[in-house]
Amino acid sequence: MAVDKAADQILRMEHITKQFGSVYANRNITFDVRAGEVHTLLGENGAGKSTLMNVLFGLYQPTAGDIYVRGQKVKIESPAQAVKLGIGMVHQHFMLVEAMTVFENIILGDTRSAGIFIDRNARRKEILELSQKYGLDVDLDLPVTELAVGAQQRVEILKALYRGCDVLVLDEPTAALTDVEVEGLFEIMNKLRSEGKSIIFISHKMREVLRVSDRITILRAGETVVTVDIGELTGEDLATMMIGRQLVRSQYTKAESKEEIVAVLDHVSYHKNSKHNGLNDVSVNIRRGEIVGIAGVDGNGQSQLAMLLTGNIAPDEGSMELKNSKVAVFDPNAFIQENVAHIPEDRNKSGLVGNMSVADNLVLKITKDKRFSDGNGFHLKKKAIRSYALEMKEKYDIRCSSVDQEARNLSGGNQQKVILARELEAAPDLLIAVHPTRGLDIGATRFIHDTVIAQRDIGAGVLLISADFDEILEVSDRILVMFEGKIMGEYSGKNPPIDEISLAMAGK
Amino acid sequence: MKRKDFGALIIVPVLSIIISFLIGCIIIAALGASPAEALRYLWKGAFGNIRNLGTTFSRSTPLIFTTLCACFAYRCGVFNLGGEGQFLIGSILACYIATKSPLTGVPAMLLCALAGAAGGGLWAAAAGLLKIWRGQNEMIITIMLNYVATLLMGVVYTNWLRDGSVPQTIAVPDETKLPSFLGLRATIAFPVAILVGIAVFYFLFSTSGGFQLRAVGLNMTAAKVNGFNVKRYIMMSFIVSGAIAGLGGALELLGTQLRLINGFGAGYGFDGVAMALIASLHPIAGIVVAIFFAALRVGSTTMQTATGVPTSVSDIIQALVIVFTVAGMAMVKLPEFKNRFLRKAGMEG
Repeated sequence: MAVDKAADQILRMEHITKQFGSVYANRNITFDVRAGEVHTLLGENGAGKSTLMNVLFGLYQPTAGDIYVRGQKVKIESPAQAVKLGIGMVHQHFMLVEAMTVFENIILGDTRSAGIFIDRNARRKEILELSQKYGLDVDLDLPVTELAVGAQQRVEILKALYRGCDVLVLDEPTAALTDVEVEGLFEIMNKLRSEGKSIIFISHKMREVLRVSDRITILRAGETVVTVDIGELTGEDLATMMIGRQLVRSQYTKAESKEEIVAVLDHVSYHKNSKHNGLNDVSVNIRRGEIVGIAGVDGNGQSQLAMLLTGNIAPDEGSMELKNSKVAVFDPNAFIQENVAHIPEDRNKSGLVGNMSVADNLVLKITKDKRFSDGNGFHLKKKAIRSYALEMKEKYDIRCSSVDQEARNLSGGNQQKVILARELEAAPDLLIAVHPTRGLDIGATRFIHDTVIAQRDIGAGVLLISADFDEILEVSDRILVMFEGKIMGEYSGKNPPIDEISLAMAGK
Repeated sequence: MKRKDFGALIIVPVLSIIISFLIGCIIIAALGASPAEALRYLWKGAFGNIRNLGTTFSRSTPLIFTTLCACFAYRCGVFNLGGEGQFLIGSILACYIATKSPLTGVPAMLLCALAGAAGGGLWAAAAGLLKIWRGQNEMIITIMLNYVATLLMGVVYTNWLRDGSVPQTIAVPDETKLPSFLGLRATIAFPVAILVGIAVFYFLFSTSGGFQLRAVGLNMTAAKVNGFNVKRYIMMSFIVSGAIAGLGGALELLGTQLRLINGFGAGYGFDGVAMALIASLHPIAGIVVAIFFAALRVGSTTMQTATGVPTSVSDIIQALVIVFTVAGMAMVKLPEFKNRFLRKAGMEG
């Protein structure tokens, strides 16, 4: 049946479901590739793109679903088998032996040799032909360490072609490339397409996707949203499909703060030329009593903005003012002393010390406080710490078997509550909250929103960064959109113009 | 301390010791001796009388210092494998002061201890600086510095402080020798070692500095984001752990060995690392483990004399304890193991 639909269909993944424990990484995804097309998989981080490709490449076995190659139902149990079926993959992080030459890397794992000797000349001729045919220009005798990233990528592509792939998976191929290298890659992709090869292009950069794709399949939260022909699609359409249509009405009252400005970024830049990990001439001010929401597709400089506002990185250009005085030293501790609270992006990596107890994490920054130690930290008052922890457990509804439990054993929502309690108990002047509800259930999300709103109402300035557009619309009083390190526009949180914001998120 | 972790931390070493002894018994039986008899003499040799007890304490003293050195550094996530080099630098400086300075008696002892600690601390600081400024791997650097210290000691006992024709240094004068502890063969270095252990314990678990140091060791990124001066703690852990080892070296020289000689201090650094791991980096447990190993070493001589079972059997047991404990600790951390055994046993928090 699948075969009948399109004769030129080279690959079809039908109703693929992949479960990790109780979590669905892929849920009933159907996806096909035609000969000679560039088919893009588009979706946020965690949308399930990589899982799907790992299923295709035999690295994971699907919980349910079938894969058809050239109309034949197949079971792909290893990458070697995938290669045999004509599927090649260029991973985001290259799989090259750095100390070996390009030639050696390409013939590595070549199983065609009959004897124990490799016919180097014949192999070399074959590779040179391939490289000329597809414009994959690279010096075969250089060791890989001496190649630029773009050239290493060409080696990977050449390697896949040499092994006879018809379907080439490119996993975020442009992430590490310069603009010029990206152009080169696109040319190669065009050549491959015109020679009848199919490419699965994984990306979340809409501009690129619109340029090179024939069809686009959008994944969201592990499910296929839609597969569309590129036709007259615009970035706005894509953004909307990628993040989903939202409920527009917020249950919170939006504030319009006229209070004093607590933090100012004045034309700040950081690694300006890095579109996805930098800031380019960003000016923001945050008043007390308001929540400024930063909307945008993940990886457009939001992380850097948060790190800057918490003193974890220093700007290359521009200046910052905190509570009306210019920041001279960018150091996390200096910011903490200025009563800046931080709900970090990755709660396990930078929010909590997982192997310490809930109680220890609650007092992490304040062990020198008179309440918790004598003699400026010389003797910890363990009883006081414990009773404080119990109080916080109650107040922030932290569900744990005991405050002595290790923080890493808590659920995500409760971990986040530990961080909230620690960061908000001192009534911060400025709160930087990054993806505060990522991965949390509705109950915990609601609690966190309520808590952040309460902070706003007692006079904190809040900057909320989230890839979840619903969340931004729900709680922000003012919305700024970031794209490629720039602020694209500012919108009111009251009746926000969703269409305009979608456009801005796509860089228009 | 969490109940289930605490359980695992005690059960694993104890089980390892029991299994190691069982294997030891099999080997003893295979040698044609009576395991019960051999173990009885092993015990007697280590703890049987006050003299042997003193010897055990004396042998444990340098091990306690190097164990504490490893505990302290590892708590901050610093893999200081240079306990031995730091120990040797401490003893070299003590040797110079004890034999060359006009001071004798208590002032000399104090100066030796101070210089030993300072020397050990500086020796470790070299590795710390390279790690912080240049991102060098501290394991490699500290191991390399061990060789440098050993060879430096070689120059000292073959040339600079050589005692006549024998390749050893002149002895520490009697007045500067550490006094005996309660009339035992152990010197006051033993209670000093225990006091240092208590101080390390207090610092790590009852002060804000120790708290922050442990946080750095457990999650450096979170420590940084939460405003701790990570570099300062790393540097501090190098210096303090080096100072503990250096102090150990100085006291070992003044109390027990009295001269530098080929082989002085050899192996103490790595012994300390193993013992610290068995003790799960807990300083007080570290003291106990160090005494246990010293007892095995001391008792094995009596065992050999009385039953003919070679001392190497004791070495085998010691090595097995290390292997089993380290493997066991790794095993209980495996998620599968946790799910299968700890939950069922009702030990999961």
